Amino acid sequence: MYGGDEVSAIVIDLGSHTCKAGYAGEDAPKAVFPSVVGAIDQMEVDDLEKTENKSGSVDSKNTVRTVDSEKTKGKRKLYVGSQALGFRRDNMEVLSPIKDGVVVDWDIVDSIWDHAFRECLLIDPKEHPVLLAEPSSNTQQQRERTAELMFEKYKVPALFLAKNAVLTSFASGRATSLVVDSGGGSTTVAPVHDGYVLQKAVVSSPIGGEFLSDCLMKSLGSKGITIKPRYSFKRKEIRPGEFQIVDLDIPNTTESYSFYSQRVIASDIKECVCRAPDTPYDESAYSNIPMTPYELPDGQTIEIGSDRFKIPDVLFNPSLVQTIPGMENYAETAHSVRGLPQMVIESINKCDVDIRRELFSSILLAGGTTSMQQLKERLEKDLLEESPQAARVKVLASGNATERRFSVWIGGSILASLGSFQQMWFSKSEYEEHGASYIQRKCP
Amino acid sequence: MEAAVVDAGSKFLKAGPAIPDQAPAMIIPTQMKRMLEDGSMADNSLCEDITVDPVERGFIRDWDAMEDLLQHVLYTGLGWEIGNEGQILFTDPLSTPKSFREQLVQLMFETFNISGFYASEQAVLSLYAVGRISGCTVDIGHGKIDIAPVIEGAVQHIASRRFEIGGIDLTKLLAQELGKSNPLINISMSDVEKMKELYSCCAEDELAYEKTKNSCQIEKHTLPDGQVITIGREKYTVGEALFQPSLLSLDAHGIVEQLVRSISTVSSDNHRQLLENTVLCGGTASMPGFEERFQKEASLCSSAIRPALVKPPEYMPENLTMYSAWVGGAILAKVVFPQNQHVTKADYDETGPSIVHRKCF
Repeated sequence: MYGGDEVSAIVIDLGSHTCKAGYAGEDAPKAVFPSVVGAIDQMEVDDLEKTENKSGSVDSKNTVRTVDSEKTKGKRKLYVGSQALGFRRDNMEVLSPIKDGVVVDWDIVDSIWDHAFRECLLIDPKEHPVLLAEPSSNTQQQRERTAELMFEKYKVPALFLAKNAVLTSFASGRATSLVVDSGGGSTTVAPVHDGYVLQKAVVSSPIGGEFLSDCLMKSLGSKGITIKPRYSFKRKEIRPGEFQIVDLDIPNTTESYSFYSQRVIASDIKECVCRAPDTPYDESAYSNIPMTPYELPDGQTIEIGSDRFKIPDVLFNPSLVQTIPGMENYAETAHSVRGLPQMVIESINKCDVDIRRELFSSILLAGGTTSMQQLKERLEKDLLEESPQAARVKVLASGNATERRFSVWIGGSILASLGSFQQMWFSKSEYEEHGASYIQRKCP
Repeated sequence: MEAAVVDAGSKFLKAGPAIPDQAPAMIIPTQMKRMLEDGSMADNSLCEDITVDPVERGFIRDWDAMEDLLQHVLYTGLGWEIGNEGQILFTDPLSTPKSFREQLVQLMFETFNISGFYASEQAVLSLYAVGRISGCTVDIGHGKIDIAPVIEGAVQHIASRRFEIGGIDLTKLLAQELGKSNPLINISMSDVEKMKELYSCCAEDELAYEKTKNSCQIEKHTLPDGQVITIGREKYTVGEALFQPSLLSLDAHGIVEQLVRSISTVSSDNHRQLLENTVLCGGTASMPGFEERFQKEASLCSSAIRPALVKPPEYMPENLTMYSAWVGGAILAKVVFPQNQHVTKADYDETGPSIVHRKCF
């Protein structure tokens, strides 16, 4: 049993889009950075690597794998963090460790944690217990692997894995609620009862913030607007006071990197101008609305009209995706995916009859995508229509957009700083005694 | 008695009583020499004095050395008496780990027995010195560069960036370059440091820097030991390295681009307020030509809103960039201590070092 003293715990929430890390007890994470990494395959750039001696962040403790260039089969150099990713490098691919909610590449996860500990928070993981947030439907194997990595490599004194939905529930002070977590990579609806997630009733869909950004990009593309990534142009002063944008021709930039850079800009457009419509999207109804201007980094001002409402409505009506040119390959998945209100109803119906009433009256919104304007009102309205008569539907969301974005992290911060939690840690000595599988018992 | 304000940088330690519109009373180098006490050193003159840097990259690393330094500063420099210690305000760089702050508080209360303590972030203090509570600070120091957006006195940690490059790396670069152009001359780091301060400047823009490759004024400098060294293009290289980090063999964007990118992660309502109130501080930022180059690069960066530098108020002393965090600390000390918002000895005795996180933001 880890007693826990004054040393504060570290809370890490590795989401599909961003990783949030910080100290327990604080009201916001200190380090927020993308959870994708740039990777350069050592094999392709043997000679270049010999001359390059430092990567992205200058600190010498970084994720450089010092490798003999002769035996470079499968070794790669990873660049983590928004500073390192922001700089364009030749042949750098953008990789994500998580596919369909499951971690596939543990090296990348390792490098992300390393970056969070050593470069963002500047701490030694040996001295701080770590609370990790995990997806609501995590497999036993993944949990064991996580525990192994944390204890063996980072030598943390204690660890705890808590489910995202439970943490969001705690952040709002409830032990029973239905958590709608719409993040970057996916949307998950999970009921929490007395602090435990009801696994059979968890519903998830692949439509998340990134999917919406992609839709927006394709939609703008079909209207002739190309988003130029930041690295691809330069401003030149041709005459004093007059500026011109010059396109830079940079070969060797991978497609994944240029797509990633464009998506960052598209996400910003989405966050600035998109709003959830009050009624289901209708092409004719929205064809005459006034356009909103938005200035792109290269100085181009674009006007966005009906897309402002069409894109967010994809959450409620995924079949809308078929009307966006360029997204036809998603049409088949769109058929099997349901909209947000349907997911909520489905999840509640899978639960016991007794708790359904309580779940309806405490629906929590979490995740970056839910900070979209008018989303809460639209969801409430749709649910009132579809839910049974007697149910009192109440959707709760904290007013502050930052709180919604980080509600999982905040819940973790609250949990790890509670006095009564200190005896629940899975300590290093317990790991050494019982092995990684003991985690199932300690972290339900 | 006035509260004391101490800003411990990697190169200079600025300390003085909290009088906001004056320069700090003491600006002394943080670097110290360790004197060997043994009497048995017969060949004392041959062995080199060991230099000790208690503050590295902005953070206090050597606590014993820091203790000695603070003893000198507080008792000898500021004239405190043992038994009658006053209140003190410290400045912290960005991303200070919690344990560092706790150690500092512990050192102050237990070893020095002070009566009141407060700690604040350098980024916020530099803004106070120019009369703002929101804006963006670009602090280019000896050991690190901090870019921190501040909204209403709160640093936006999510968007702030810290780089572990600073004046010290520019000195190394200059030494390298001088070594290439003057291969026969042997110079020590401290001489290079002095030369950097005397000669380095910033070219007007990238094109002007390219031109210096072909033709540049060559100046001659006499070192203390009599050797004569020529310095030509190297003086522009030092300033250019901040805008083109590839000169330091780093994969990163220049400083203005980094500023713009870090601001873009903050919500867009605040962009205008942040970019139009940009404050430059730190010793390296007082290089001749740096501000003009910064403004030039600002007009070329990839952002809708251009960064604009804030002019310091007229009643502030000249050379504010060298110690704006100290001046901001003096301003804050005048507010915090009289209103009893600081950590008192009683608070510390009751709760322990972790009180610093609750009382000092």
